Formats: sequence, C-alpha cells, structure tokens
Amino acid sequence: MDILQSILGGLWETSGLAGLAAEPMKLLMMGISFVFMYLAIVKGFEPLLLLPISFGMFLSNLPAVLPEDMIFHAEYWNEQQSVEWLWKVLHDGGLLDKLYLGVKLQIYPCLIFLGIGTMTDFGPLIANPKSFLLGAAAQGGIFFTFLAAGYMNMSAAECGSIAIIGGADGPTSIYVSSKLLDGADSSLNTGTIALAAYTYMALVPVIQPPIMRLLTTEKERKIKMPQLRTPSKTEKIVFPVVVTLIVSLLVPSAASLVGMLMFGNILKESGVAGRLVDTAQNALMNIVTIFLGVSVGATCTASNVANLAFLKVLILGVVAFSLGTACGLGLAKIMNWATGGKVNPLIGSAGVSAVPMAARISQQEGAKADPTNFLLMHAMGPNVAGVIGSAVAAGVLLSVINY
Amino acid sequence: MHPLLLANHLIMLAGGIDGNKKPLDGSEIWGVTLVGLGTVIAALALLVVVILLFGKIFDQINKNQKEKEAAEAAKKKPKQAPAKKAAPAPVQTQPAAVKSAAPTVQAASVSDDEEVIAVISAVVAMMSERDGKAYRIKSVAKSNRNSGFDGRSAWAMDGRRQNVNPF
Repeated sequence: MDILQSILGGLWETSGLAGLAAEPMKLLMMGISFVFMYLAIVKGFEPLLLLPISFGMFLSNLPAVLPEDMIFHAEYWNEQQSVEWLWKVLHDGGLLDKLYLGVKLQIYPCLIFLGIGTMTDFGPLIANPKSFLLGAAAQGGIFFTFLAAGYMNMSAAECGSIAIIGGADGPTSIYVSSKLLDGADSSLNTGTIALAAYTYMALVPVIQPPIMRLLTTEKERKIKMPQLRTPSKTEKIVFPVVVTLIVSLLVPSAASLVGMLMFGNILKESGVAGRLVDTAQNALMNIVTIFLGVSVGATCTASNVANLAFLKVLILGVVAFSLGTACGLGLAKIMNWATGGKVNPLIGSAGVSAVPMAARISQQEGAKADPTNFLLMHAMGPNVAGVIGSAVAAGVLLSVINY
Repeated sequence: MHPLLLANHLIMLAGGIDGNKKPLDGSEIWGVTLVGLGTVIAALALLVVVILLFGKIFDQINKNQKEKEAAEAAKKKPKQAPAKKAAPAPVQTQPAAVKSAAPTVQAASVSDDEEVIAVISAVVAMMSERDGKAYRIKSVAKSNRNSGFDGRSAWAMDGRRQNVNPF
C-alpha cells in the first residue's frame, strides 16, 4: 500500500497538474494565448505571425515540474552568453530553447531581411531619392522615445531596446534588443520587445490614420503627385551595392541587416538567380517566420509579461510609433511647402517601415480625400527608405551603447 | 544645458555608454538623441546625393546611346535614298498611296465616332426599356481628361483603380 501511495504521489508531483497548482499564473498566460489564437484565426490579425507567436506562448506556459520536461526555460535567457551557457542550452534545453538560439544569436532577423530584400522593389526610391529623407525623419520616433525612456529612469540598454520599436520593424527590434539586453541587468527581454513591435505593426491601420488626419489638411491630402520615372535595370543592380557600401562605411554595426537586405535585392534585380530568389522569398522566409514566431512567443511567460516593465514597453512602444508617424508627416509637410505644393504629406507617414502596410495606409487616406488620387507608388519610396533608415538607426544605437 | 557640456558628452559618446548605466544623465540622453538622429539623416542624405548623381549619370548614358543610335540611323538613310531613285516605279506609286490613305483614316475616324454614338444610344435604349422611362441623348462631347482623371482615360483610371484596390 505504501509503495502504491509513493508511486501515485511521485506521479502527482511530476505531473503538469502539480505544476499548475504551484504556478497558477500559467493558466492566465494560456488564456491570453487563446485570445491571440482567436484574433489570428477568426479576426485575421496578422495570422502568419500571431498564430506561431500565440502557439509558442501556449507551449511555453504548459505546466511542467521537472526542468527536463520543460519545452522552454525562460531563466536561461537572462544569463551571460558563454561557451558553457551554449552547451547548457543545447544539452539541457527544450525544443523551443534551441529554436530561440536563432533569435539570441541574431540569425533570424538577418535571414528575414534577406527574404524582404528579394521581395522589395526599390524602384520608387531610386526614381525619387528624396524619399530617403522621409525614411530618415520617421526614425525620429526611435530617438525621441529614447529621450522619453531616458527620463523615466531606465538603463541605456532598456532605452535603446524600447526605442527601436519606433522603427516599426520586427526583425530590427529583435536584432537590437537581443544584443543590448544580453546579460544586462534588466527585467526586459527580447521576447517582450518583439511582441510589442509585432503588435504595433499589426495595429498600423488603427494607430496611423488618426495621426495622419490630425496633422494634414483636406487640401493637402488631395494633392496629386506626378508619375515617377522608371529606373533602368542597371540602376536597380547598382543600388544595393552603393547602399551597402555607404551605410557600412558610416555605421558598420548596421552592415549585417543592410547587407542581407541588399544581398536579397541584388539576387532579385540581377535576374540570374531565380531559384535562389524563389527559395529566399518563399521557403526560407516561411521557415524562419515559423521558428521566429514560435520561439518569440515562447518567451512570453508569466514572469516576463505580467510585470510593470512590460507595461512600460507597451506605453513607450505606441509613443515611439506615433512619434515616428508624426515626424515623417512633419518633414513631408515641409517638403510640400518647399516645392510649392508638389508633395502630398500623407506619404511621410510611410517612412516608419512596416512594409507595405504603412504605404497602403497612405494610399487609402489619399483615396478617401480624393478617389482619383493614387499615392501607393509614391509612398513605397519612403516606406522602403524606412527599412534602410531603421537599420541605420539600429546600427547607431548599437554603436553608442556598450553591450 | 551648456553647449560645451553637451559637446563634451557627444565626444564621450564615441566611447559608448555602458548599457547597464542607470539613470542616464541629461546630456547623455540628449547626446544619443541628437547624434543618433543626426547620423541617420546624414547617412540617408548622402544616399540621396549619390542616387541622384547615379540617376543623372545613367540618364546621360541612355541619352548618349539614343543619340548615337539616331545618328547611325540618319547615316543609313542617305545610302538607301539613291537606291530608291534607281528604281523609279515605287517612287511614283508611293505618293498616290499616301494620298489615298489620308481620306481612309478620316473616314475611319468618322465611322468610329458614329459607332461609339450607336453603342451609347443602344445602352440608353436598354436603360429606357428596363426603367420604363424615356431618355434622350442631348450631346456627346469630349471631356477634359486633365480634370479629375490625372491625364488618363476613364478605362486607364478604372484599370489603375482595380490594380491598387487589393492594397
């Protein structure tokens, strides 16, 4: 009888039910993951990202008592990276720990940039290079948020990690925060930064339009812009090489992101590597998105999310996003004034990256003011310039903050 | 903040700020903000200049190539002309063909207009039948394409709208 009791007791102690009794917050986190799954499947909110993120969140919050039964170990990721640490992750870690290495070692963001490069047409930017300035201005959201976070008594690494959300670029946010927060004395982690960044990217159609309508007049929104010239194939091939060279000379820390983006683009524009382009923009991109989504979702454990620091990330994240939109609109208004009414200020908000969603919003707002107004291609210029701009901003943050 | 103090901190930023430093002092916060934004704007402004320059160079190369091709085509023409003179028969028939072509084009244009009006009339007749009301075409006039259609025909505008709508 004693033996039976001891076996049953042992079974109970190692079961998930005992784990759940010990950590009831896991139930809440699983509930939140179900809400995200509902939003992705039923409401269609960024399902390609939100579904892997929410399922990763569900998996990492499954109750387990024994460390070897856990799919994800949140405690591993607050330690300083070393050879011993890497061995521990590979030897003792769960499946999601091993997948998360791609985030921690900055492999996934760069591969996603490669895929984005193969899907991006820089033609509108080459046709109207002044769009670069709108992409630069929209990065104001990053640095003004750094300012706000700095005065909220946060560390330099935390300020930089939160501010980069203003770039509206998921891979860049992951790249910067995983470097800055590595071994930092902080309650923030890459997972929460990524979650906030992707949440706000999904909310672009909700956040941007009110700011756009607030900062522009009806007359400005109706401005029609002349058709862009078509750049030659040679220009499109030279462009990635020139951009990589200039950005890497000025901000070497941005070379990985910009280099991979432009590598993808030259594969596409050269027209001689069709198979590689096909793989990069389909199979590779999808595989990396699955690994990235599920492993970032796994970092959303109760200890990481249910705290004041995450609330600060959410608040400052939306501030960063809104400031970026406002800065882009502001410079576009100045350009409109300087050119005597030839630039529709709505294209300025597209400078916050979030390709192609932000450009779509510019098109939709322009069409609302005048159904015969087509701003999509004009907005694509600042939009892709924003990707380069946020990568440069990331490089600057990594250069001035020691990690 | 004193400008010299800020300048001093900007120079110090070259060495970087410790990521764990908390709290940051005002000059460090402003230093990162100004240096960061300034660097991003400077880098992208440099790209504007370089890409504009490249655009000009490529435009010039394309222009030179077109001029070269035009010059080569012009050189070939005079060589072909004497050959035509050597054969008088086709030269005589050509003007006749051109003369006869002009009225044909005009006739086609008039015929096209009539067909368009016939199509419009048929549509209006169908509408009258469907609605049980009598409609009358008062005039068919050319519209000013530039007013509201961005210099494009209604067909082109509709095509463009259909292409952009999915976004």
